[in-house]
Amino acid sequence: MKNSQTLTKSQRALNNFAAYFSKPANVIVVASLIILLLCIVYPMYAVLNASLTVGQMDSLMYNSLFGLKLAKGDFTSLNFHMLMFGKYSSDYSMSFFWKPLWNSIRMSTYSSLIALILGGMIAWLITRTDIKYKKYISSVFVFPYIMPSWTLALVWKNVFANSRVGTGVTGMLESLTGICVPSWFVYGIFPCAVVMGIHYAPFAYILIGGILRNMDANLEEAATILKADRWRITRKVTLPIVMPALISTVLLVFSSTMASYAVPVFVGSPGDFYVMSTMLRSLYSSSYSGQSYVMTLVLVLIGIMMLSLNQSVIGKRKSFTTVTGKSGQVSFIRLKGNKALSIVIVVLLFFIAIFPIFSFALESLCGVQGDYSTLTLKYWISREDLGGFHVPVGKGILFNAEIWGALWGSLKLSIVVSLVVGTLGFLIGYGVSKNRGSKLATLLSNVAFFPYLIPSMAFGSIFLAVSTKLLFLRGTFFLLVLVASIKYLPFASRSGTSAMMQLSGEIEEAAIIVGAPWIVRMTRILFPIQKSSFISGYLLPFVSCIRELSLFVLLTSSGTLITTLLSYFDERNVVQMSNGINLLIIIVVLVVNFTTNKLTGASIDKGIGGN
Amino acid sequence: MPEIVLKNITKKWGGFTAVENLDLKIEDGAFITLLGPSGCGKTTTLRMIAGLETPSSGEITIDGKVVFSSDKGINISAAKRDVGFLFQNYALWPHMTVYQNIAFGLETLKWKKPDIEKRVSEMLDTMQIQQFAQRYPSELSGGQQQRVAIARTLAPKPKVLFMDEPLSNLDAKLRGEMRTELKRLHIDTGSTFVYVTHDQLEAMTMATKICLMKEGVLQQYDAPLDVYALPANRFVADFVGNPTMNFIDGKVKVTGKRTAQLEFLGSSFVFHAKEDINLQDGDVTIGIRPESLPIAEKGKAPNQITGSAYSTLPAGMETTVKIKVGNTILSSVMFGSLDYKVDSEVHFSILGDRVLLFNMEGKRVASGSVEKKGE
Repeated sequence: MKNSQTLTKSQRALNNFAAYFSKPANVIVVASLIILLLCIVYPMYAVLNASLTVGQMDSLMYNSLFGLKLAKGDFTSLNFHMLMFGKYSSDYSMSFFWKPLWNSIRMSTYSSLIALILGGMIAWLITRTDIKYKKYISSVFVFPYIMPSWTLALVWKNVFANSRVGTGVTGMLESLTGICVPSWFVYGIFPCAVVMGIHYAPFAYILIGGILRNMDANLEEAATILKADRWRITRKVTLPIVMPALISTVLLVFSSTMASYAVPVFVGSPGDFYVMSTMLRSLYSSSYSGQSYVMTLVLVLIGIMMLSLNQSVIGKRKSFTTVTGKSGQVSFIRLKGNKALSIVIVVLLFFIAIFPIFSFALESLCGVQGDYSTLTLKYWISREDLGGFHVPVGKGILFNAEIWGALWGSLKLSIVVSLVVGTLGFLIGYGVSKNRGSKLATLLSNVAFFPYLIPSMAFGSIFLAVSTKLLFLRGTFFLLVLVASIKYLPFASRSGTSAMMQLSGEIEEAAIIVGAPWIVRMTRILFPIQKSSFISGYLLPFVSCIRELSLFVLLTSSGTLITTLLSYFDERNVVQMSNGINLLIIIVVLVVNFTTNKLTGASIDKGIGGN
Repeated sequence: MPEIVLKNITKKWGGFTAVENLDLKIEDGAFITLLGPSGCGKTTTLRMIAGLETPSSGEITIDGKVVFSSDKGINISAAKRDVGFLFQNYALWPHMTVYQNIAFGLETLKWKKPDIEKRVSEMLDTMQIQQFAQRYPSELSGGQQQRVAIARTLAPKPKVLFMDEPLSNLDAKLRGEMRTELKRLHIDTGSTFVYVTHDQLEAMTMATKICLMKEGVLQQYDAPLDVYALPANRFVADFVGNPTMNFIDGKVKVTGKRTAQLEFLGSSFVFHAKEDINLQDGDVTIGIRPESLPIAEKGKAPNQITGSAYSTLPAGMETTVKIKVGNTILSSVMFGSLDYKVDSEVHFSILGDRVLLFNMEGKRVASGSVEKKGE
């Protein structure tokens, strides 16, 4: 044999190794996998560890109750016993753990059903019937999703709060008509479920509508030819095909509401309605950190359960989400009373999508809250410190250094995060699509999606645990960037992957053949072709980040970000300021979304899987 | 000169072997088609030569230079192999105009701007698409896109041009035109063409040599007419030619070095082989092309057999007649338009020296002519 030419085993392994890493896609896959694993595995370890550690108040409590001598930081399993299993008293476990858990589950169930029914109905109306004003309905309907989730909660308060309930603030309904709605209507599970249901309805609309729109018209036509009537077709053909999307919507909305913090804190807590996330915060801020981490673990567990359920629904043989084909024109069902229905929907949409903006503006202009005869601009333009509140408020919004500082902080954070996440999503999408089918690529796309399983509140809590171990991270801007980047990666990597998957390998190979180097192929071929998808991949984290509260509320002080400042003012009933700030946030979000949309064709609904 | 040599090329995906121990030598200036049913490994082979896929083992040489060798650990990237590749779906970049698509490769080669302009307009002329220079691919028809793709591939003057079923997305008429043009381009450019197709007609009409594959294994590598006339085995015989070859079960008894006695279709024949027969007495499959079974009036031709007309398929220029003899249905192709009444009696002959014998493993063991006994 030609010994001089054959290689030893180790040389061959080295060659294979070099060959593997000569492909940029492989480098990306391996590198991002390592980084992500580090950023997920270690924090999970840290939070598990923290849940088995005594916090400041935990130790005081345990020592006095059980005559122990625990110090802050000691190792113990008491956190679990205390919070979940009634070690001290079953009442304690009940009111601090089981009841909030039950509340969370009820709230999430209701809101996911509301979202499903609303979103599904609109999706069906738009894609399958001859309802009028389609363009208006479909573009305005996604507004609530673009706006921060608490927007509607604040509006709810602005409208329905009344002198007989809670803090006794007068809302719009009372001041205009004198009607006082009962307490359960203003605070508690009802408003929480409704508000979040409406907030996530567009999400359902986008998921379900996307499938209805892309569904091969022939599938329904084939049934028509076989003389099935419209209703039978809907029941026997359409519904089963969109079923995975329906289930998926319920599960995703369920886990999102489970994680939500802002809405329950705005319209839940004032009515003594506590859910997991609000209880977690209150345990933590009362220094029962050990127990708060137990809560975190439970939230994580629920999130993982929900999403694996979702995975098993989507991943199965019964998934038809990839049905494609020539989407011919489906014949529209003619609705009776079409016009009346259209107008009802348009009016309702006005209230959930456009009215909030007016409401915030109006409330921020009320000299005396709820009294529309006292309109004033002072909360906006006062150069003097404003008085009349329990807490110092500072100057009018336009001249308030703290507000502008927080806004700038949020902007800076959002820009950095969007750059990091968008780029990572693009690269991961590239790496995964080039290695499609390989084990590493599958692992990477799963790992990149993992943060989605973890509720934001829990995610914040997890990184809080990290920062108590890695002290150099504590309270830094970098920590916020890290947390947000990992948290928002799932959507960016998903959309990046699906955009890349749509490009046939030939598109890049045609450039490889003519010798275009990797960076040229990326910047001149791949990115420009799927420009709007990729830019959506940048836009989505930006918008999510600028309106994020639950992720950051544990990690930073109230003045750092505009959302935490908003929450601070809201909790202290500084209504004019919180409304004004909210208006500011919405304006920033809308301006960014529409500018990007006009310039590049990218938009948020595209980023989350719409068309 | 760009001669391409494949030695022992194997490609495995997990447990699945796409290409197995393939040896192939593609001469300079040849027009080779890799032919076979889908999943036979032809596209994989092409992509391995181009450098878009890495073989599991073996060695590939282009123009005397080793571009891949599993033993020596060589794997030169596609970009450095100086090849052109025409993709099945054209792979035109949708965000670039026709001009930009064609110019892109020249820009990456760092050509000077005036040279690029000259070359692009030359290519636009050759492919007759000058008027589309500023359009985007989505504004062109399939045939026009194909021309742009060819122009883009040929612009950097590759010495070797690979094509992966480039005509499969075109309609039948356009496909015919493009075949003519590709064959013409092959002569004009003097490059080596390697062409993947599952369409045997395309392979027959265009190639200087056909490489027929099945399940990753090379079946036959010959000039098209040789593949047609002397297929190496039943698979090849069946795959090439339309209507397909008639396979008739029969019995053989070897009576001399080059003669044998055949029993089939209820008659006895003497077989005169062109080479020595290497075959056991017993079962045999007789392969006869449809054009070797002409129909004539009774007694007007030698070697006549009687059957009944099962179905007649006139195509204008020629007519395919399906003839039933016992339980066997045979195809016969005749020039001109003919029509036979269904189930009427027809008489056909077995003519020519291309009667093939296949052994039970499907391998061709002899070719020659037959003579009906008792005539």
